[in-house]
Amino acid sequence: MDGTKLKSPAELLAERTARVQAAYELRVPDRVPIALNFGYMLARLGGITNQELERNPVKAQELLEHCALRFEPDIISGLGFLPHASIALGDRQTKWAGYGLDANGTFQYVEDEYMKAEEYDAFLDDPTDFTLRTFLPRAFSELEGLASLPRLPIMLLGYTTIRSLRAFSAPPVIAALEALIKAGKEVDQLGAIARVNSKRMQDLGFPNAFGTSSLITAPFDFMSDTLRGMRGIMLDMFRRPEKLLAAMQKVIPLVVEFAVSAAKRTGIPYCSIPLHRGSDGFMSIKQFETFYWQSFKAMILGLIEGGVIPTVFYEGVYDQRLSYLRELPKGKTIGRFDRSDMFKVKEVVGDVMCIQGGFPVSLLQGGTREQIREHTQKMCAVVGKGGGFIMGPSTTISESDPELVKIWVDATREYGVYS
Amino acid sequence: MDTLVEMIAEMREQDALARVKQLLDDHTDPTTILDDCRAAMEIVGKQFEHGEYFLPELILAGDLLKQISDLVKPHMHHAREIQKHGKVLIGTVKGDIHDIGKDLVVFMLDVNGFEVHDLGVDVPPQKFVQKIAEVKPDVVALSGFLTVTFAAMKQTIDAIRAAGLRDQIKIMIGGGTIDDHVRVFAGADAFGKDAMAAVALAQQWTGQN
Repeated sequence: MDGTKLKSPAELLAERTARVQAAYELRVPDRVPIALNFGYMLARLGGITNQELERNPVKAQELLEHCALRFEPDIISGLGFLPHASIALGDRQTKWAGYGLDANGTFQYVEDEYMKAEEYDAFLDDPTDFTLRTFLPRAFSELEGLASLPRLPIMLLGYTTIRSLRAFSAPPVIAALEALIKAGKEVDQLGAIARVNSKRMQDLGFPNAFGTSSLITAPFDFMSDTLRGMRGIMLDMFRRPEKLLAAMQKVIPLVVEFAVSAAKRTGIPYCSIPLHRGSDGFMSIKQFETFYWQSFKAMILGLIEGGVIPTVFYEGVYDQRLSYLRELPKGKTIGRFDRSDMFKVKEVVGDVMCIQGGFPVSLLQGGTREQIREHTQKMCAVVGKGGGFIMGPSTTISESDPELVKIWVDATREYGVYS
Repeated sequence: MDTLVEMIAEMREQDALARVKQLLDDHTDPTTILDDCRAAMEIVGKQFEHGEYFLPELILAGDLLKQISDLVKPHMHHAREIQKHGKVLIGTVKGDIHDIGKDLVVFMLDVNGFEVHDLGVDVPPQKFVQKIAEVKPDVVALSGFLTVTFAAMKQTIDAIRAAGLRDQIKIMIGGGTIDDHVRVFAGADAFGKDAMAAVALAQQWTGQN
């Protein structure tokens, strides 16, 4: 144990910040830092439904503080997303507890072709118009009215075209604009609560400096996740590869500018990038290089140039393509890993990026004390060697057994000390 | 000249469709076209197993097969009875709506000659129990991607056991986050990491390998 009980929150804050910062910068901290994302476990421990956890950020904060003091991680987070704006807009792409799911359901994404195969040209010619008049009305039931708007550039004719703006008086358009205003206000209120919560964590001794100021996706996932769907995009790889590649080129400056401006506005340099279809098993190495890696790498370089520190979640398994990750600038990105072979990850990219995660949540749900301690010891010794490693779960610990999590966290404190 | 089998196996979609149309115009026996499709899928399956082909190829091949079957169907005057090798009951367990992985498994089992009963997604344990009693499958396959499915798989298998049906079937589980720890926790007979692993397990359990 490192005697945390005896230190003041301010001392613990400084200690935890320095510990994580050292690992991020590929240096050796006093011990292996621990990152925990509790997710829906908070509801279970607090005796409330997942729905209440999602809808009530004040209650969620109370439960998170409880967990912070019980498990004493160095980086802590609760739920990654909240449903308020989705509900206000009639989001068809997501399901939440009490919104498409029962009160104890867990967030799910509904994949579909929200952009049709024949709409690539519309997207490429004018992404703004495609967003406004095609995508938003299709993905959000409350925004259907936007489909009847005129193409906005006609307004460049100024006073002569003002009468074509009659569309804005149509009830479905008014309803759509009102829904946007309502969602905007909800997001603003949640932002205010989040700032208070973040200050409270800081006052308890848990750093808020490692949060992220934006979330973006790799260009391939951008086109796949919310637009073409996995089936659609994989057919595009054969049937219209040039259009797909052109669309991804269009996406790069868009997401880079978004993340860079968010980092500047908030002063938080970290940008979260969960990867989806780049994992082993989805496509061949050759397809990965052509369709996934090139645009992803260009995006990462753009972010770094803009002062952003990309925190990439390599979801799935990257064992067969770790050598590509070596092409990223040394010490400029952070890699969170899921089910990759962490020992191999350390060997191949340990000197390129800080490595986080990779402890199997299956062990935290159904493992034994001995199995957990043994695996923790091995990870600290091998993956933790020479610093640049943060212990964390492979994915969320929503469904994990809190007692097993405690055994794991305590074992990390025991075995993760650098002498 | 290249054969239809090669065209399908090499993902030459337009060539394959043109050839099928030409064969049908020439009054070729439609069942030979379907035999070619099966032969091609066997190659695609092998390529997948060997790590040459991945999901894009499986998805394209599946779509191509569907297009060919739509072209051929009007020419089939008497459907030839196809001998099925065994029955598989499959579904994504309660609490999860992921279907891509499950659908690929269904597709690969189907082209490998299994009679597949697909219960869809978010399937409650009792629905599995009910359907097992009804169709008497050889194999039950539980799919899931979210970590909530670890518990749902266990509940499903517990319910099957409580209904006294556990000994009549083999149970395999699969999905992105599934590993051997989950298999032990849930009480399944095996876990498979992809669609070909599911086919291999089903073949092994029905005495085909």
